[in-house]
Amino acid sequence: MKKFSNFYIGLILFFLFAPIAVMIFFSFNAGKSTSVFTGFSLDWYIELFKNSEILNALKNSLILAITAAAIATVIGTAAAFGIHHMKSKHLRQSLMTVTNVPLMNPEIITGISMMFLFVFVGGLLGLSTKLNFWTMLIAHVTFCLPYVILNVLPKFKQMNKALPEAALDLGCTPIQSFFKVQLPAILPGVITGLTMSFTLSFDDFVISYFTSGTDFQTLPILIYSMTKKSVKPTIYALSSIIFIIILVMLLITNREKSSYERLEAKKARAEKKRKEAIAKANKRKKQKLSTEVPVFEASSGNKKFSSYSLKIVALVCAVVLIISTCVMIGAYTKNTVTLNVYNWGEYISDGSDGSLDVNKEFEKYCRQNLGKRVKVNYVTYTSNEDLYAKLSSNAVSYDVIIPSDYMIARLASEGLLQELNFDNIPLYEECISDDFKNLYYDPENKYSVPYTYGMIGVIYDANKVSEEDIGGWDLMWNQKYSGQIVQFNNSRDAFGTAFYKLGLDVNTTDKAAWDMGLEELKKQKPLLNKLVMDEIFNMMESGEAAIGAYYAGDYLAMVDNQAENVDLKFYYPENTNLFVDAMCVPTCAQNKELAEEYINFMLSEEAAIANAEYICYASPNSLVYNNEIYKEDMGEEAIEVLYPENFDFAEKYDANCYKDLDKETKQYLNSIWEKFKTSK
Amino acid sequence: MTRTPKTRKTHRSLLQRYAAAPHIVWSVLFIIVPLIFVAYYAFTDGGSFTFSNIAAFFTKDYLVIFWKSVKLALIATLICLLLGYPIAYFITTCKPKTQRLLIVLLMLPMWMNFLIRTYALMTLLQDTGIINSLLSKIGLGPVHIIGTETAVVIGMVYDYLPYMILPIYSVMAKMDHRLIEAASDLGCNGFGVLRKVIFPLSVSGVISGVTMVFVPSISTFYISQKLGGVDTLLIGDVIEQHYTSSNYNMTASLSFVLMVILIVGLAIVNHYTDSDEGGGMMI
Repeated sequence: MKKFSNFYIGLILFFLFAPIAVMIFFSFNAGKSTSVFTGFSLDWYIELFKNSEILNALKNSLILAITAAAIATVIGTAAAFGIHHMKSKHLRQSLMTVTNVPLMNPEIITGISMMFLFVFVGGLLGLSTKLNFWTMLIAHVTFCLPYVILNVLPKFKQMNKALPEAALDLGCTPIQSFFKVQLPAILPGVITGLTMSFTLSFDDFVISYFTSGTDFQTLPILIYSMTKKSVKPTIYALSSIIFIIILVMLLITNREKSSYERLEAKKARAEKKRKEAIAKANKRKKQKLSTEVPVFEASSGNKKFSSYSLKIVALVCAVVLIISTCVMIGAYTKNTVTLNVYNWGEYISDGSDGSLDVNKEFEKYCRQNLGKRVKVNYVTYTSNEDLYAKLSSNAVSYDVIIPSDYMIARLASEGLLQELNFDNIPLYEECISDDFKNLYYDPENKYSVPYTYGMIGVIYDANKVSEEDIGGWDLMWNQKYSGQIVQFNNSRDAFGTAFYKLGLDVNTTDKAAWDMGLEELKKQKPLLNKLVMDEIFNMMESGEAAIGAYYAGDYLAMVDNQAENVDLKFYYPENTNLFVDAMCVPTCAQNKELAEEYINFMLSEEAAIANAEYICYASPNSLVYNNEIYKEDMGEEAIEVLYPENFDFAEKYDANCYKDLDKETKQYLNSIWEKFKTSK
Repeated sequence: MTRTPKTRKTHRSLLQRYAAAPHIVWSVLFIIVPLIFVAYYAFTDGGSFTFSNIAAFFTKDYLVIFWKSVKLALIATLICLLLGYPIAYFITTCKPKTQRLLIVLLMLPMWMNFLIRTYALMTLLQDTGIINSLLSKIGLGPVHIIGTETAVVIGMVYDYLPYMILPIYSVMAKMDHRLIEAASDLGCNGFGVLRKVIFPLSVSGVISGVTMVFVPSISTFYISQKLGGVDTLLIGDVIEQHYTSSNYNMTASLSFVLMVILIVGLAIVNHYTDSDEGGGMMI
């Protein structure tokens, strides 16, 4: 039996730790993959300490977790004290029920409900940023509070009731009695509550996801946007480090506890006997402990923390509170101007792999040439619709955004974009060719400066797909490759593939045409492996999927990272989507001039080439596509894919781009997309 | 020395009466009011009262998705219980020192970011992942797991198993082992001991565990996003999608219905278990 139970415990632990072991293993991978090991290296650890985005998120997470835990512990401990002394049983019970709501409610509902409150109140107050550090802090304190109370309350109940009375009799004031007598007795509960709050807050994703704005990105939020694409081992490296720190900390506390407990065991036994005697004498009914909450604490025996450690804890709490307040106030009042840039994920040269960190360069440029201290706060989104949701909720404030063409048209028509002052963007005239001017989304060139352009093509794995099947959109509907095809997880692009296949106009307002598209997609659904956006990178690179449509530039990135047994190829079907992504300044911008300065900087040769090489998308900037070094760096094949010869951009673009649909069509599209997703 | 109970009482009650005040204010502002907002958005459309958002939940498409979420969450909870209950018991039979070490080991994964863990699990389960490449090396072949409901259930079990084990363990650890010895001395067989002694004593932990696994499982959207495929859309996914397409009314209505169903469910569970223990109510 013992053997079996050991084996069983081992098995469960193996199950729980296998993915973590894999994670640690791949953090030492020489290659970029998180599923194919190509050799040992420490590169990702070095990369980690250079990655300002991750380090910044880590710092934010720590600030938030420490502040939230400290506040929750103070309010929660006071609350437990108050609840313990409450006379009215009814009040106590209803308060406990309310306290426990965040524990019982699914996190997604807690997050959404708070988001509603913040957006609504922010709207009443007319704030430009309704979701920010403070909303996240409130949310975190709220879900930490019950853990503190549920850990501290039992300690009050276990405490000898005569103690505070004795203290009062001996001349303590009630406040002295609390700090000198009661607090030491409940301290283990307070500390457990504090540490639990810290870890829960540090690790929280779901509630943060709904209550976070853009100027304060925590680690889990960053990780979420990273796992939408293929995760680089950098984040594995960070997790491995955190894992080791936690492991060591837990083992140390565990060890200290056990030696401490041996000492205390004797005392405890004597104490127990004495207590039993008293209990008998008083014939007091033992109070039931009303908690089965996971008070994840091995024992409640270590009652006597010395007043010394109490002082240390109080000191640490105070210092932490003061520091974090200072940091927050400092961040908001410092002379530095923050420029909020909202862009697609992986859509700027960020300094990884030895590339130029364009945002850092811009900060440097501002310091040297304009004498301004500027901090670029760079945040990412995953779709035009995400961007629109954030902008239209009025909950945030950005200075520069980089949406796609149809979204620019929509934002402009809804008055969400500002007219640019091209005097501040002199490079625009100089280096953007006429092909990219006066396009439908911005007919008078008022709102946007093109950043990249490109086309959607079909990517396939030549090791799995036979040559004769390729060409056209039919490949994505080919029965032979059932289960290996991936489709866009966004309505416009998914319907786009069906429309191009059927030869329909992608901007039609005819509902019958959209229904035909839906039928076509439903036919494809049984063949699909998954609906993807940036997940396609990982799936194509690893060979998990064999066929998918995506952007030409991203295909080039995939080829670079493909696994050994994968041979990715690419072609453009006859009709396919062309897009332009352009830099704009939304009406919520707070530093318009600086934003224009930023846009101009992005057009300058060095930054533009760094971006074009990093993103791999075609550039509308003549300083880039005429540059010989750029062509050489990209390689002949890549240039052919990105800039096909004899290609009349303007003509093709007009026929095949997505335009902003009218409201009714948009709603209809949403409803049939929902139907497609939920259909069997 | 004469005691002066009256003055002291007023002194004490001042501190005691107001100590919980910040928390009460906080709870009302940030727990109750937000929930009222959920109801507000669920029952309005552009400011005017309507039932249409709620009615939308009860259409076939949503009910199918909701049923799927319930089914997968129930299966995951059951598996967690079947896996977790024995291990919680086995741990209590170990030496105290080993017990503490094991609990630390069980808690450790919970301290790791669950997004990363789920992602790592995904790379394990993929068709080209480590498990499948090992399987195909020994000729058992690749097994297609990723993208199926099975994968989603595995993800739920993996992410939430510790939430089942720890509450059960914390109840069992307080259990008097002499009772078990007494039962077997008095002729109870192994299963009888389990059914008549151990289980009734640990039922409050089981309820805590079941709730702590079921609630996050039914409302998850990340696990189904990463491990699921085209056919594993769960209610959490739909809520999240409505949120990202800024359809606040549908976001609120689905959240509201989910919340009401869960509250009713929890109330029933509480009603049929010994409410004195408070285990079910507290979590």
